[in-house]
Amino acid sequence: MKQRLYLSAAAISLLLLAVVGARSARRPAYGGTLRVEISAAINSLDPAVAAASASEAEAKAEIDGLIYEHRNPNGTFAGISGSGPFHVAAWDPGKHVTLAANDDYSGGRPFVDSVDILMGRSLHDRLLDLEVNSTDFAEIPAEQARQAAVGGVRISASQPDRLLAIVFLAGRPAAQDQRVRQVVSECVDRSAIVDFILQKEGVPAGSLLPQWSNGTAYLFPTAADPVGAKALLAQIGGFHSLTLGYDSGDSFEKSVAERIAVDARAAGLTFSAQPMSPGNSAGLPDARLVRLSMISPEPQASLRNFLTTLVPMAGLDAVPLPANASIEQMYAAERGVIDTYRVVPLVWYPHVFGLSTRVMDWRAPAAGESWPFSDVWLDGLASDLSEKAEP
Amino acid sequence: MTFRSKLFWIFTLALVASVALIAAGVTIVTRQAFEQMYAQHTEALVSQFQREFDQRKQDVAHRVQMITDEQTTIQMAIALSRPQADPSVYVNDATGVSQSHQLDFLDFVGSDGAIISSAEYPERFGYKLDWLTQPVDWASLGSFLMKIETQNGPAIGLMGVSTVRVGDKNLYVVGGERLGKNFLGSLVLPAGMRALLYLNMDPNFQSINLLDQNGPVAEGDRFAKFINQERDTPAPEIFKIASGPDLARTEEFHALPLLGRRKELLGVLLVGSSRQEMVTIENRIRVLAESVVAIGLLLSLLLSWWGAARVTRPVRKLAVVAREVSEGNWNARVEEKGGGEIGQLARAFNQMTGQLKEQREHLVQAERVAAWRELARRLAHELKNPLFPLQTTVENLQRAKTKSPEQFEEVFRESTGILLAEIENLEKIIGRFSDFAKMPQPELAPVNLNEIVRGAVKLFEAQFSAVGRPPITPEFHLAEDLPLLQADAALLRRALENLILNAMDAMPAGGVLMLRTTREKGEIHLEVSDTGTGLTPEECERLFTPYYTTKHHGTGLGLAVVQSVVSDHGGRISVESEKGIGTSFHIYLPVKPGIRSAPAPAPVETPREILTVQKV
Repeated sequence: MKQRLYLSAAAISLLLLAVVGARSARRPAYGGTLRVEISAAINSLDPAVAAASASEAEAKAEIDGLIYEHRNPNGTFAGISGSGPFHVAAWDPGKHVTLAANDDYSGGRPFVDSVDILMGRSLHDRLLDLEVNSTDFAEIPAEQARQAAVGGVRISASQPDRLLAIVFLAGRPAAQDQRVRQVVSECVDRSAIVDFILQKEGVPAGSLLPQWSNGTAYLFPTAADPVGAKALLAQIGGFHSLTLGYDSGDSFEKSVAERIAVDARAAGLTFSAQPMSPGNSAGLPDARLVRLSMISPEPQASLRNFLTTLVPMAGLDAVPLPANASIEQMYAAERGVIDTYRVVPLVWYPHVFGLSTRVMDWRAPAAGESWPFSDVWLDGLASDLSEKAEP
Repeated sequence: MTFRSKLFWIFTLALVASVALIAAGVTIVTRQAFEQMYAQHTEALVSQFQREFDQRKQDVAHRVQMITDEQTTIQMAIALSRPQADPSVYVNDATGVSQSHQLDFLDFVGSDGAIISSAEYPERFGYKLDWLTQPVDWASLGSFLMKIETQNGPAIGLMGVSTVRVGDKNLYVVGGERLGKNFLGSLVLPAGMRALLYLNMDPNFQSINLLDQNGPVAEGDRFAKFINQERDTPAPEIFKIASGPDLARTEEFHALPLLGRRKELLGVLLVGSSRQEMVTIENRIRVLAESVVAIGLLLSLLLSWWGAARVTRPVRKLAVVAREVSEGNWNARVEEKGGGEIGQLARAFNQMTGQLKEQREHLVQAERVAAWRELARRLAHELKNPLFPLQTTVENLQRAKTKSPEQFEEVFRESTGILLAEIENLEKIIGRFSDFAKMPQPELAPVNLNEIVRGAVKLFEAQFSAVGRPPITPEFHLAEDLPLLQADAALLRRALENLILNAMDAMPAGGVLMLRTTREKGEIHLEVSDTGTGLTPEECERLFTPYYTTKHHGTGLGLAVVQSVVSDHGGRISVESEKGIGTSFHIYLPVKPGIRSAPAPAPVETPREILTVQKV
């Protein structure tokens, strides 16, 4: 598993001090409270209760992974609350939750006594708290990782296990012509999205699964081909105007949608970005941006999960994929979806975390894995030093 | 229309025309002067706006240059000049810098023309601006207008370009302000002016592209004609746009084409100034002119009335005196004032009146002498006839002295009888003259003319059907709705009896005597007609002359009496006659007569072709 760390000069100094000067004295220790801040507001920790938004569902899955021991193949949780490494000690829906270490956890008691999670924290607040070490852990948008690292935040990123793709929605007449969808796929400058919007935190996507997961080549070239797209559009003829929906509350999706609109316009296609929100009455767009996270490092499980989500959305015929599908079966399944151009993969990008300097033995979670809070311990010396070294 | 009225209207028209001409002239000249002032004012304001616009261009260029000179920009240029430079680090920089320098547009562009960071279109990074890498001296070019692609569509910007050169690589800084409602709102315009901006971004005129400081202009289609003219031939133009019939809502616009670097039309700036103030002033002047005209009209009416009265007063006096003279006042005189035409006219009138009076006196004297001669002749004639038998009888008596007493007695008896008869005849003759001389003044009382007519005719009924005489048949055509007359019944009956006697004399062979009364416009018309022998025109002319008669036994006083009675009742009499057909006398009596104190010659209407006169 690949893990990258972005450290500021102050953090590096502190780490060197910690490693060189006190390494022998710093063994994993029990105790302490891990302070966590998340952006989502979770209203129920019950796995049976559906989340109101994708971000809430994602955050809820992470916390459920800490309090439930058993996880289903589809990524959901089951069993008894508190059977995981932690149990809920305090619960204020949408605002705050405190998880206490489960002494009877089958995997061993976590090092920290508790995890204190503040919900509904804005990015600005999270970054600020990370910079001043008033929180130990916060998730950071991938596109902000570089800027946060420059600001002195200790950064950790997972493998690029999140897919951003365009899905042409079923039943939209403007998207009926496959060649128009192909024009979109060819004109998008995926490298520009990675380099400029994601600030290089990701890779262009040429397939539904990332290369690191299955080791296969891309199904199509990821480089933009505006000339070919323009030629194809000229071949199609006529005036084509489509809309691309994106989550109105997500600046990353907005930037990507606007960039795609720019690329499409350069190719001669009108592909307008259209913000979407629950109360938006602008109507259903012809396509929309979709973000998917791998539920497992295993490509079969993640692909099957992707297909379950994407195929009905795009109005494609069901693509059966057995649990133990071979490489060829997975390739055929991917090819079957990609060749329709109803699902256009754009980029893979990672989960990015900001950590305080006292969080020790942190490793970025694998695809589908919950935050490994049971493995980390808090270094009091490091915390003291970090506070002294605050810029 | 009287002379005074004519003069009044002539004076009035002359004065009104003069006042109106002067008012119109003043209004036109004033309006032209105001139009000229307004044009100068507008031109000054447009010049002021152009200076403001030029100042804004300099300001934009200055702010772009400030960004270029900033340390962060220089560091960016240095970093990007290095091999394997990563421009993605700067992708969000333009937004913050543009906000700090209050620029709507800002692009950091690499040496190859690729956008590194764009404030107006952040997602356009990596795209190349080929026009920027062309060999142009951007520093000397200053600000210019160009079409800018933004996230929300194309826009027109007032742009400036500056460069940072590190080694052989340039970092271009392209910044500017959007030409739009905010730009218009930031312009300092005098009161009464407004600036509109048409953004020429579509092949055809689109009213939504016409902006003022609040956004798209309401009823922008009114400008389509003029905008299209500018699109065809970009050049400064002036045009007016009215909002409805109210001239005060008319605006004059100076259209200034906004050209890009390649002289392409990017927009049209419309600097409009309201004509409200000028129209208000013009309206005031017009109201003042109308007031002057109204007052002038009133004064002209009064002056004309006074002038006409002053000018026509001598003439009116002359007319009054002339009317008095015509009514018989020969002593009336006009006041002779001044030596002008009116004075000469008065003197001539007085002289003429004097001559007429003198001639009339001579004529009256002559007529009086003639009348006396006629009277003497008639008296001599009337007296001569009975005198001859008297003389003869007396001579017979003288000769009878020598005869026997019986013969003398017989002669004496016959002679005395003759003498008495002739003396009686003389008395009758004298009595008739005496009666005519003693015509009494009428004693007025309400009388019914129809009753008088019937009474007079009844008096003669026995004679109409006398034995041995051809019968005369009276016919009555009397209007029963006649009002009562103020008249002397005895005199009217006497006059009517004379007319009936005349008619009887005119019908020796019998005939029809027709009597008709009718009411005509405040008068009562009495017609007495016969079917007798008729009169000649010459006889008709002399018919009412006293002592004139066509009969052997008449005195010539009957119709004179009739005329006298009618005249004394304020009426008039006329005759129409045709030889062999008959004669009709027409008497017109006023219902309420003004009794004349002195008898005047009654008007005698011109007789018809043949007239006959028969006298009592």
